[in-house]
Amino acid sequence: MSGATAPLALTAHLLLVSSISFGGFPTVLPDVRNFVVGTHGWMTDQEFANFFAIAQSLPGPNMILMMSLIGWKVWGFPGAVASAFATFAPPCTIYFASYRLWDRFRNVSWQQIVRLGLVPVVMGLVIASGTVMARAADTGWQSTLVTLAAAGLLLGTRLNPLWILLVGGALGGAGLL
Amino acid sequence: MTKVAQQEEPLVRLAALFRAFLIVSLCGFGGGIVWARRIAVERRRWISDEEFADIVSLCQFMPGPNIIGIAVCIGARMRGAIGTIAAISGFLVIPWAAGLSLGMVYLEYADLPVLRNILGGIAAAAAGLLIATGIRLLVPHRRRPAALLFAALAFGLITFAKLPLLAVLFSLVPLSIAVARIQSARAQ
Repeated sequence: MSGATAPLALTAHLLLVSSISFGGFPTVLPDVRNFVVGTHGWMTDQEFANFFAIAQSLPGPNMILMMSLIGWKVWGFPGAVASAFATFAPPCTIYFASYRLWDRFRNVSWQQIVRLGLVPVVMGLVIASGTVMARAADTGWQSTLVTLAAAGLLLGTRLNPLWILLVGGALGGAGLL
Repeated sequence: MTKVAQQEEPLVRLAALFRAFLIVSLCGFGGGIVWARRIAVERRRWISDEEFADIVSLCQFMPGPNIIGIAVCIGARMRGAIGTIAAISGFLVIPWAAGLSLGMVYLEYADLPVLRNILGGIAAAAAGLLIATGIRLLVPHRRRPAALLFAALAFGLITFAKLPLLAVLFSLVPLSIAVARIQSARAQ
């Protein structure tokens, strides 16, 4: 926390990564972690994982909330607001502009080709983010098991993900992880 | 936005857009798309299923949270720029303020061992949900070896090689699109 440069650096970095967060903000989580924990040491891995868990356990705009908590840690309330804006404003602008364009170029074949190429890369990134977060939360084979079970349940059942998170929290609270 | 006025259907009220995406935000636990479709297509009949699918595909290859993209697009479709602002405000303002306050309370007690264990358990489960979502969205591409190869490359370059996201994105995406283009040209 070095005066005004820390919040500026954080906001600028979030503006950048949110503009390239193809596939949703989770794809840039590993990068944000490197920036705030590794490069700048604004928080510990533990705190970063806590922010992730808090944001995921509340409804609403999880990733914007998580970035706000990081902003809060660096610069208090103004940091939280600045981080929120930096996280949602660039994508919103891009979405709005591209919706206008999309409307103009409906049913053009290059749209399909771009999707075929882009989607697999993006999903590889999403899965990688899950792995990085699992590592941050890792306390032994039990927590790995919870991660695998959560993935399996979401894939194999129609269970509300809220229950999966609750059970994970309960197991942790019972001291089993 | 005068363009929207050419449609014959009556104007959707801004408050309705705000409320719709407030509900999507509060209910959309990992499945915001489900709620967005339910409200915008089934209950309000603002847009058709085809149009909703269009918007979801568009949002899939834009940066940012897809669900916010859906709010932006439906808002824009119904009322132009002002509709977008109404939808985003509904999605963000109240849930953000509530979430931040709750988060602060959490953090106040984050050093308690019990709370720390609970958060650890939630984080482990949440990581699993993320992995599962990535896998689920890959399923439509499972018959294309090239798609699986590029997904595996993206995964490996981040997880094992620990390359920065930008490097991975800008090296793999053009390659992947080029391969998709060659394959679809051959298929025709």
